[in-house]
Amino acid sequence: MDVSINAHMPGLVARVVVTEGEEVKSGQEVAVINCMKNEMTVLSHADGVVKEIRVKEWDEIQVDSPMVILEIDEG
Amino acid sequence: MLKVINGGVETLVEDWPGRLGYLGKGMASSGAFDNVALQFSNLLVGNVPGEAGLEITGGYFEAEFVDNGVISLTGTDMKPTINDQPVPMWEAMAVNQGDKIKFGHFGEFGFRTYMGIAGGIDVPPYLDSKSTCIFGSYGGFEGRKLQPGDIVKAGKPTQDLRDLSGRKLREDVIPEYTREWRLRATPGPNAAPDYVTKEGMDFLFEHSFKVQHTSNRSAYRLDEVPDYFFARENGGVGGSHPSNIVDHAYSMRGALNVCGNTPIILIADGPTLGGYLCALTVINADLWKIGQGTPSRDFIKFDYCTPEEAVEARKKQKALFTEESLI
Repeated sequence: MDVSINAHMPGLVARVVVTEGEEVKSGQEVAVINCMKNEMTVLSHADGVVKEIRVKEWDEIQVDSPMVILEIDEG
Repeated sequence: MLKVINGGVETLVEDWPGRLGYLGKGMASSGAFDNVALQFSNLLVGNVPGEAGLEITGGYFEAEFVDNGVISLTGTDMKPTINDQPVPMWEAMAVNQGDKIKFGHFGEFGFRTYMGIAGGIDVPPYLDSKSTCIFGSYGGFEGRKLQPGDIVKAGKPTQDLRDLSGRKLREDVIPEYTREWRLRATPGPNAAPDYVTKEGMDFLFEHSFKVQHTSNRSAYRLDEVPDYFFARENGGVGGSHPSNIVDHAYSMRGALNVCGNTPIILIADGPTLGGYLCALTVINADLWKIGQGTPSRDFIKFDYCTPEEAVEARKKQKALFTEESLI
């Protein structure tokens, strides 16, 4: 099953800190958003493997925009 | 009154009109970014309208009430829940020890929610105000945004809590929220013809400016103005760019500062002086709208206003913060 890690704030993508194929744990930092002159960390809410990265540095994003797609092992 | 579980994006103690009288010493006035929502939240719970409340920016705030009390929520609708049950906006409600309140992200319209607490917030006033100046790290709750584990104490309510619960704001006085905020503004102090061309002033009043992602409690940055905006080739002794002037005091809060080609509305925690021209001043009655502008999403449009109209608008708005606005 795929799950989407979405932006929690609008702003610019400062960086994505994971790569496709990488294993991530729930609570791990996957990206950083620039908003209100602050860097805001986007955390994974699940364990899984990065299937797809939907954003790149300096992309403008809105709240709830998908940033990283994880493949979850349901077994 | 409450123990913070998650401070959210940025949750601050703010009152109104903030820390006035210290601009000359470089102290920002701070205060609630949407002062109308704060004042209504206080009215609902029986406080004086300018009492301190919680300003919840962006959302995700969570807390547990450690005492019984009465609260109200105003501003943007972040789909708040208490014990996982939805609760209304613009209404006073009783809360009990152990109740958990939780907010989602900012709504479709607006960016900030206010929580009024019967009795106000018990933090020590600093220079006559309970407001947090987040960039100066003073005032409010230890000069910072709230963090998990913080205990926010309420003051002593002036009315019986049983009389407060259920008070609602009249539908017709609830402010209208949008994604294009119309701000009435008076030209100057640095406008046409000395600093800005007539065409430049027309641009200011005709263009719809997108709020930039860098906007915060100090300044709301907007789209750039064109080069024909400037009436001068350079800033003379003030500097090389035509937006430069010899340093002067800014008309806080609400000055539209032009820094290079970027117009910036200076607001709550903004600077008190500087060396860039200020082409407009947003009227006091419309300052609240800036605080509800969502960075990277919303737009701001300026409407011409005379000083006389500004004074009338302020009087009319002030008259709303009375018991007559309640049902």
